[in-house]
Amino acid sequence: MEIQIDVNAKQISAVEGETLLTVLRKHGFKIPTMCHMNRFSPTGACRLCVVEVEGKRDLITSCSYPVEQGMKVRTNSQRVMRARKSLVELLLSNHPDDCLYCVRNGHCELQWLAEEMNVKERKYFGEKNATYPDYSSTSVARDPAKCVLCSRCVRICEEVQLVTAIDFISRGNQTKVNSAFNQGLNVSSCIHCGQCIQVCPTAALTDISHVEKVQAALGNPRQKVVFLINPGASASMAVELKWKPGENLGGRLAAALRSCGAFRVFDMGYATDLHIVEEARMLATHIRAGKPGPMLSSCCPAWVRYVEEFRSDLLDNLAPVKSSQQFLGTLVKTVYAHENKLDADTIFTVGVTPCVANKYEASREENTHRGISEVDAVLTVRELFHLLRAYGLEMKQIDEELMDEPFATSSAFAYKVNYTGGKAEAVARELFRIWADSDKETFKFNLPKNQAIKRETRVKIGEREFGFAWVSSIEEADSYLREIAEEGRDDIHYIEVMACLGGCAGGGGQPISRGFEKPLARKRICQDVEKGHSAKSAWEHADIRAYYNKNKTGRPAGQADEWLEARFRERTDLK
Amino acid sequence: MESDFQQVFEQFPNKRREDLIPLLQHIQDIHGFLSEEIIKKVGTYLDISVNKIYGVATFYDNFRFGPVGKYHIRLCHGTACHVSGAGTLLKELEKILRIKDGETDKQGLFSLEVVSCIGACGLAPLLEINEQYYTNITLESLKELLVSFREKENLLP
Repeated sequence: MEIQIDVNAKQISAVEGETLLTVLRKHGFKIPTMCHMNRFSPTGACRLCVVEVEGKRDLITSCSYPVEQGMKVRTNSQRVMRARKSLVELLLSNHPDDCLYCVRNGHCELQWLAEEMNVKERKYFGEKNATYPDYSSTSVARDPAKCVLCSRCVRICEEVQLVTAIDFISRGNQTKVNSAFNQGLNVSSCIHCGQCIQVCPTAALTDISHVEKVQAALGNPRQKVVFLINPGASASMAVELKWKPGENLGGRLAAALRSCGAFRVFDMGYATDLHIVEEARMLATHIRAGKPGPMLSSCCPAWVRYVEEFRSDLLDNLAPVKSSQQFLGTLVKTVYAHENKLDADTIFTVGVTPCVANKYEASREENTHRGISEVDAVLTVRELFHLLRAYGLEMKQIDEELMDEPFATSSAFAYKVNYTGGKAEAVARELFRIWADSDKETFKFNLPKNQAIKRETRVKIGEREFGFAWVSSIEEADSYLREIAEEGRDDIHYIEVMACLGGCAGGGGQPISRGFEKPLARKRICQDVEKGHSAKSAWEHADIRAYYNKNKTGRPAGQADEWLEARFRERTDLK
Repeated sequence: MESDFQQVFEQFPNKRREDLIPLLQHIQDIHGFLSEEIIKKVGTYLDISVNKIYGVATFYDNFRFGPVGKYHIRLCHGTACHVSGAGTLLKELEKILRIKDGETDKQGLFSLEVVSCIGACGLAPLLEINEQYYTNITLESLKELLVSFREKENLLP
């Protein structure tokens, strides 16, 4: 039902049941918030969204207050402005004054708020809470000193990822966001997805930085630094730098990294194609052997970790294929090193990805062999920007170059796998080729119109019908798996699971972005590239066919199996 | 001990979320405190994440995460006790026992907990040791009290 409210002496209409904040924002009133997250239930924790309502003794938090017919609201009265400013000043009084040394300097919501509220002097002096930073994890760093207790990380960890690795500990002014028994993230149930970093307004949650490690390697004449560029990372850069469609995204990045001193710049999309072909082969084996349950994709390290911790009953359903990052790292340090007579331990491989969990994945023990890591460092897109800035590179002035052979190209699907649904389609196309034993495609991968409700499709290959499904976020994966288990369905053969909402386009290592605008922009860039791409499927990618012609089994000759197999195990962390 | 926990679990067959706090209270009554192992067990039983339970338990002052001493001293620090000198008593206790609020001494003999009003304001200041109440405490009677416990344990020279 439509109702009328009065805001700053202006009449605006609202729908009953909406919160005041929603209505105000819809009509262009700027209301500061810190704890508010779209699609989540309001907590009213930060109180920055307070407004004055006539007839109410106290200021009310607009994020948690439903609109009422005829209410008179003032969003910028003296009382409101003073309250908001005091709130920010109080937050700052318990915040370290080290903005200059902070990784979020210039991208910090607290900094913006202080600027907006015109905070120009320190008003409250007092003792600050004693806190200890936590650098125990391989991917996510925490500095509780910078925490403003907005609870966004806690909510996303619990409600979207079902992990609850971090939660509020203690009470009152002693409250801290911490892992169980204050023991550090490395022994917690953290799955390293990095979504908490994405939602953190300050630098209380950041990634474990590898920038200095990479810089040191670039400066070391004995190290040959090889960059492995995930197409998703170049697509994300394109969004940040507002590149025009049609520009060669990876090419410019390759040129920039070479001027930083890179030995080789390879396209991780090459390994993505290999990964797709291998996974489709595993899927064919899975179906022919009549194994129970659908096969689950294993390219997302955060999802793999979740299964290992919480759903060890599904371990056998994970496709035992290395992710593209580890696949390419392995190829570089074995085949490439061998063919070019290089010593594997002088090669320093750096993954460049939109993923935080890749950092953790590179550190998994089965991904290191006799002291040699497949991937030595992983830069998120955020860190990549830091690196390029440190080297004084203006991306706009750099001419495109090609990536290095033999891993120079990728198919359209290397871009498509960056958003949810892409991987399922890629594997479906490969399965078609394997099952029907034909290179010609005669099916259409139908995407249901309303993806929010239904995330599955059926593909007919020969006489048989196969079910493919795709989900993003652990919550969605969990409810979907429960649903098909309860209904006893056996018509779904493959499920693509991405731990981040929307797939890698919404990845934890992407530049900090509020809402879905940027992830969607990244998806559009990927779709643009796909349209203009000649290799429409992994198998159409000529280099991949050449690879398989050389190695019939898909495994490079003379390499130990342990280098190429993905292995999973049950974990008993604090869950 | 193990079977005691099992008995506590059996009292909550529905495994509901709201069973958490009563369950923790029962366990603390038996065990004296909540250990990591027990919290993990509760988590598995109720299907609640360990961190969630730890968060809930640290919210309430009544839950402890370490063992208490043989003599668990609960010093009242309500309004009436406060005005009649509970603060001085606390300082004295901390000085004599060399422990702070919430801690247990190395011998495991004394532990100290500051609580809000016990509900006997007419007898302030007071403290409770192992469910025995000691009222109208003065600095002298406090020292005597502690000496008497130490004598009982043959810990005096």
